[in-house]
Amino acid sequence: MTAPTMTSRSPTSTQRSSPRSLSTARSTSSTSTAAAAPAEDLKSFDAEFVKVDRATLFDLILAANYLNIKGLLDLTCQTVADMIKDNTPEEIRKIFNIKNDFTPEEEAEVRKENQWAFE
Amino acid sequence: MSFRSLIQDMKDEFGNISRHGLRSSRSHRAAVAAGAPRVASVVLGLADALEGTCWAQLPPELLREVLVRIEDSQGCWPSRRDVVACAGVCRAWRGIMKEVVRVPEASAKLTFPISLKQPGPKDVTLNCFIRRNRTTQTYYLYIGLTEALADDGKFLLAARKCRKPTYTDYLIYLDMGDMSKGSSTYIGKLRSNFLGTKFTVYDAHPPYDGAIVSKSRSARVIGLNQVSPRVPAGNYPVSHISYELNVLGSRGPRRMNCVMSSIPASAVEEGGKAPTQTEFPLGNLDSFPSIPFFRSKSARIDSAPAQAQDEEKLVLKNKSPRWHEQLQCWCLNFRGRVTVASVKNFQLVASDENGAAGQEHDMVILQFGKIGKDLFTMDYRYPISAFQSFAICLSSFDTKIACE
Repeated sequence: MTAPTMTSRSPTSTQRSSPRSLSTARSTSSTSTAAAAPAEDLKSFDAEFVKVDRATLFDLILAANYLNIKGLLDLTCQTVADMIKDNTPEEIRKIFNIKNDFTPEEEAEVRKENQWAFE
Repeated sequence: MSFRSLIQDMKDEFGNISRHGLRSSRSHRAAVAAGAPRVASVVLGLADALEGTCWAQLPPELLREVLVRIEDSQGCWPSRRDVVACAGVCRAWRGIMKEVVRVPEASAKLTFPISLKQPGPKDVTLNCFIRRNRTTQTYYLYIGLTEALADDGKFLLAARKCRKPTYTDYLIYLDMGDMSKGSSTYIGKLRSNFLGTKFTVYDAHPPYDGAIVSKSRSARVIGLNQVSPRVPAGNYPVSHISYELNVLGSRGPRRMNCVMSSIPASAVEEGGKAPTQTEFPLGNLDSFPSIPFFRSKSARIDSAPAQAQDEEKLVLKNKSPRWHEQLQCWCLNFRGRVTVASVKNFQLVASDENGAAGQEHDMVILQFGKIGKDLFTMDYRYPISAFQSFAICLSSFDTKIACE
């Protein structure tokens, strides 16, 4: 018998997210007391921080919301927004594995809207 | 333990972990795993699926955080199509996006096709341009992307001229690629009389509750209380335009008179409101939509003032140009948006019928003028919509009233 192993979706990754976000909170809050780190350094730190798989990103959003860390919530939500940009509805559904639950009439309306928007 | 409940347990477990963040749950997970050895390998295969489906469970308030960022950052076309794309992902995304996006009157932005039927902004004009194709007798409306008079633009509407023995129709569509008869992207038309002196603008959809359908044999009133209206293929007259010669005959600029039957005169007063369509009816014009798209909205159409039919209608007239003695021509201040003299050029202002000596309001509601061969600017604002503006401008192409 093999215990099921979840790859990147293991609970440990979620556990990792929280310490990760705590350490961010520490590093960002410490800048208010010490001399401010250069803006470019913070920016690249942020960019590196969100280079994670989508599952971890999801966990980070929930963690940031639960722990009420606004900066992290902004960063993670913006990252997701950036993933959405320049994609069609079908591509967005694929990226986030979202089910198309429109009725045929609604689907026709959506198609018409997107046909017009992408013209 | 059934397979389904195993998956549900694991999902709940992930949810617990996400919510509480720090609790170690290895022992709990081991207990869950130990309970279902037979499905272990199947669960392994489903790991990826579970990873993906988590996004469908993103709480609405967090999804909203993401979508608000899209709406804010993609303010201008062509990137604004990301907003429309998000509204086409699934019902949850659509509901939030439609709430987040404000009407053009408030945001000065066009987002969904329905924006073209909604009044423009109060404080600024939306600067558009029209390209004419003489060979195919078609006209294309774009909204400008930059400060330039005309650029690549974002396509808005297309019109096709259809000449008949006793009248001419300009059929207006959302899709320049499908302007055939019966196209589902047809949204209205401009019809001119034989002489090209009187025009009627018809909307394919009811402009407000209580709108009267114009049909050859009968007039039907759309029920005021209908939540799921059966919308017949319609011709709802929304404005009547007439052209007359000036008192100076053809030596003076022609006079335009537009009665906006779907807009009350009070719309241009302080605190006035113009009716706003909120959704296109679902399905073909000939079919009967069953349920309004958003159950949270009780009526698809923002209800106009209840006495819309009885109230005085808004009348627009063209602003009187002044005679410029030195240049020996009639002049209007187009603020740089019109660069070629043409009899087609005009500025429409709200006419104050009740005011002393037929006063005009100062605010130019619609301005149209030539900037090049087959190229014209069209600037409009509240209380008229892009669709109505386009139709009124098309009449300027068609009218036979000329000026020396």
